[in-house]
Amino acid sequence: MTERPFTLDPVEWAAWLPTVEAATATPEQLAALDKSPASARTSPYFLTLAHDVAALAQRSPLFNAVMYASGGLPRAERELATVAVSYINGCVYCASVHARRFSELTKKPEIIQRLYDEGLGTALEPRHRAIVDYAETLTRAPDAVTDADLAALRTAGLTDPEIVDLTHAIAMFAWANRLMLTLGEPIDPL
Amino acid sequence: MTASADLIDALAGIEPGSPTAALRERRPDFVRYSQGSHDVLLAPADPAGVSLAERALIALRVATIERSDALAAHYRAMLGGRDAPTVGTPRLQALLEHVERVTTAPRTATKTHLDDLQSHRFSPRDLVTIAQLVAFVTYQVRVVAGLRLLAQEPRA
Repeated sequence: MTERPFTLDPVEWAAWLPTVEAATATPEQLAALDKSPASARTSPYFLTLAHDVAALAQRSPLFNAVMYASGGLPRAERELATVAVSYINGCVYCASVHARRFSELTKKPEIIQRLYDEGLGTALEPRHRAIVDYAETLTRAPDAVTDADLAALRTAGLTDPEIVDLTHAIAMFAWANRLMLTLGEPIDPL
Repeated sequence: MTASADLIDALAGIEPGSPTAALRERRPDFVRYSQGSHDVLLAPADPAGVSLAERALIALRVATIERSDALAAHYRAMLGGRDAPTVGTPRLQALLEHVERVTTAPRTATKTHLDDLQSHRFSPRDLVTIAQLVAFVTYQVRVVAGLRLLAQEPRA
């Protein structure tokens, strides 16, 4: 296994299984791909997931709601949580994508760069600290979360609707990281 | 599937009409597609090469590794209602080793693991299903754990 560094630069992903070909995909597969990101018909990742079209057709709208639904936890903070989870799980590809989204939304790429350089314990503003701490606990030991974790989020100013959104963003990347890490690998952009 | 049959509500102890139920109602797509993912992965119309019993067994294994008593009980009951998979076969052993790897150490997975599983008659589609199922249960464990905190919090 090659150890790739975490990066804010774009990374590509190569599938380990033969992918579905958009040209020969079934109508159901095309419909599920079209509920996924705009590039899904040419993405090796989505063309891999299209093998189980029923699962993809449920997962794509769930992913979109968790990451992009309006209101609730600000989008940048959902991205920060998913970068923290991806860092813990070792998903260099996922971290790269969502680090760049966070940086585009906040105009502060230095926050993620410092997290990569210094680890999750790096200095963060109080809301970010609470979000990263909860992401770490729920990722590493979901059976060990307690009322103290909830209290820390509230002390940092998160509301209950925001905590629900945060929980789903963290959980979604337990899922996303495992797909990305076990069905293919990151590669350098062509 | 009615709202009262929602699995995450049941396992997180979310009572109808409670403050936590109201929090979930804010995000109907989270509720709908979390339940929908469970249903298509655990009880698909066409299971292809991963049997219904194997699916319940995989989910039970993930919930057990993740120490989620509530989800383990759910999947144990599901498995009990299905024809047991043949234990002790090299195919099932290879499957369960892969399930453990994807759950606990996904970054150690390699293409060779998928090639080995294909030699045990798992198709590319089956391998996508297995990855989705394992990964989905790790999601479900965390959603249930987080929502249960909110649902069980003592309120003034």
